[in-house]
Amino acid sequence: MMKRTSPRQELKKTWSSMFETGRGARIYPYLMVLPAVLVVVGVVVYPLVYGILSAFYDVTLRTLGSGKMNFVGLRNFERVFADPVFLQASWNTLVWVVLNVVAQLGLGLALALLLHRAIPGIGFFRSGILVPWVVPSVVAVLTWRWMYDPSVGIANELLLRLGIIDDYHPWLGDTATSLYAVTIESIWKGTPFVMLLLLAALQLVPRSILEAASMDGASGWRKLWHVILPQIRVSFAIAAVLTFILTVNNFNAIWLMTEGGPLNSSEILFTLAYKYGFKRFDLGMASAVATMLFVGLVIATTIYLKLIQAREGD
Amino acid sequence: MTVHKFLRKSAVSAAIAIGLGLSPAMADNIVFWVNSPLASGPDAPIYAEIKAFEKETGHTVEVQPVAHMEMERNLFVALSGGAGPDVMALDIAWVAGLADAGLIADLSEKSKPFAAEYQAGPLASGRFDQRQYAMPLYTNNVALFVNDRMLKEAGIDKAPANWDEFHKAAVAMTNKDKDTYGLTFGGSRMGAFQLYSFIWENGGDIIDETGKVRVGEPGAVDAVDFLAKLYTENHAMPESVLTAGSWDEVNAPFIQERAGMLISGDWALSALEKGNPKLEFSVHPLPTGKQAATVIGGYNLAINANSSVQDASWQLARWLTGPRSVELMHKYNRLSATVAATTPEAIAALPEKQRPFMQQADAGKARPVVAAWSQIHNEIIANVWDSVLRGKPAKDAMAEAATAIQGLLGQ
Repeated sequence: MMKRTSPRQELKKTWSSMFETGRGARIYPYLMVLPAVLVVVGVVVYPLVYGILSAFYDVTLRTLGSGKMNFVGLRNFERVFADPVFLQASWNTLVWVVLNVVAQLGLGLALALLLHRAIPGIGFFRSGILVPWVVPSVVAVLTWRWMYDPSVGIANELLLRLGIIDDYHPWLGDTATSLYAVTIESIWKGTPFVMLLLLAALQLVPRSILEAASMDGASGWRKLWHVILPQIRVSFAIAAVLTFILTVNNFNAIWLMTEGGPLNSSEILFTLAYKYGFKRFDLGMASAVATMLFVGLVIATTIYLKLIQAREGD
Repeated sequence: MTVHKFLRKSAVSAAIAIGLGLSPAMADNIVFWVNSPLASGPDAPIYAEIKAFEKETGHTVEVQPVAHMEMERNLFVALSGGAGPDVMALDIAWVAGLADAGLIADLSEKSKPFAAEYQAGPLASGRFDQRQYAMPLYTNNVALFVNDRMLKEAGIDKAPANWDEFHKAAVAMTNKDKDTYGLTFGGSRMGAFQLYSFIWENGGDIIDETGKVRVGEPGAVDAVDFLAKLYTENHAMPESVLTAGSWDEVNAPFIQERAGMLISGDWALSALEKGNPKLEFSVHPLPTGKQAATVIGGYNLAINANSSVQDASWQLARWLTGPRSVELMHKYNRLSATVAATTPEAIAALPEKQRPFMQQADAGKARPVVAAWSQIHNEIIANVWDSVLRGKPAKDAMAEAATAIQGLLGQ
């Protein structure tokens, strides 16, 4: 006796068979990824393209209001280059990035080596060192701001008691120290992340290689340079690129501590783009700076992806 | 059915249909963005006022509180995208930029019959290019806050009433060994805001009513020099003047009784009382220079140029800024911008520490209403103050500022 199928089952069967052979089978995978593609296009690609295009249009509060935006070619880039603050912000960005990347990698490696030991209670220390990374950035920045207060800040009191300074100093209010004061906060916040990456890499270094180096009479430094660092080089490079990207994008620290001041002494390209966009309401100039930052970050991300591939190759 | 009956039934049906159809169109929904301190909780007085408005007009109002620091940016994003609220509370400094961009509605014709009800200064703050774009919701100005104990201990028996007395009091209350100072002041744009009153008091100006840039003239230069020297030469301001970028930071030395004087508005009252309930302080009109002046602050109500409910929005703006605002703002310890709030009876009804603000309201002066004001204030004047505090001669800094402002204004 033939088993009867319900209309619903029939429909399901027909629907399924449409994608089993021929053209249906070919478009099936595309249909499956279509929703995700639409989301990515809407949320990432469209704003990105619009942002880059804005760098070539006269986009201000007035033109946005009237809906008449004119193509201005490279005029926004010219205006940005003509602004003396841009040069200062570019230099500050370089100093900011180099100091952050070097210090975070150096300290992160040192901490990772320190915590890569089988001693009692090491889990407590490993967790404790992650606290700065876990604290919300706004909370961390505002806490540091008060620590640097020129009148009642604990940083001044501590340095005074240690005999390093003779009098309280406005660390965030002095054009000579403001950028470095913010950099210290940023290093404090970012180092645990680097430490975590490198600690994970260290745990993958075969113990037998280290033992063989010890038996060959290698000192601690020689083991570090000739054995450990080559073994973790890909993770180290990934940490460097990630730190670079996170530092360039670290808007909170500078904005909440100094807003780029005093006298633009701690202005970086990201805060300058924000000021152009949301203080002057000149989105054309803001997009020009953002486009330049974007190109730099694309290069860094390309290197990062190459390194990931290299590690997978290892 | 006879023709007569048919017509009668049709007429009744049509009347009902028209009635039903018109009601929703007349009862509009208004989206209202208000600065968050006015809508801090469900018990905030503005909600009762909105309820009364809804009952009276049949409209409904959706109140959306927005933090002051977020408001300008959020409005910019929303309005330039063709969206945003129907009615919005604006810091008076933002009116010109939004009006110049055509994002807020011209209220000149609607407001004309009521203009006499408002104080001249606050009403002018809503005007751009000879047109009225916003109605004053509340007004404020800056006055002198004095720590009575510190002043007495410095051997001075009355609050300074002119610049000479102000200078003497600031120096007298300064004691490096005790870590006390005469005056707490803001840095950068906070300081710039506090400077304006002194520039005007000294007969100077930033941009005058004809559009002439005047920051490089002696009246303005000498006022900046006078204040900066209190820090650079007399050391009568704490180091926080270099970094104080918020009112909390400006207020802190006064709250801690490390600074004897503070230049601020009525918004400082609750912060000071909350920060140090034992603080003994009094409020006085700003010490007078060549003339009396004080910078006007406050919020205005404006209407989205793209709002589909223009009339209902105007009704709401008028309801909140009109005669009822005296009582409403009294509940917030703020000052109504109506003329009714300046009568001797109304001033006498204010708490003692609020009276000086209203007493000097006649000397109130609005900041220049030019589209590029935000940039002039946040970048140019703020940098002047920062530079002068760090030793640059006021004359040079102000001359550079004048050139920069002229460039911005296309002069």
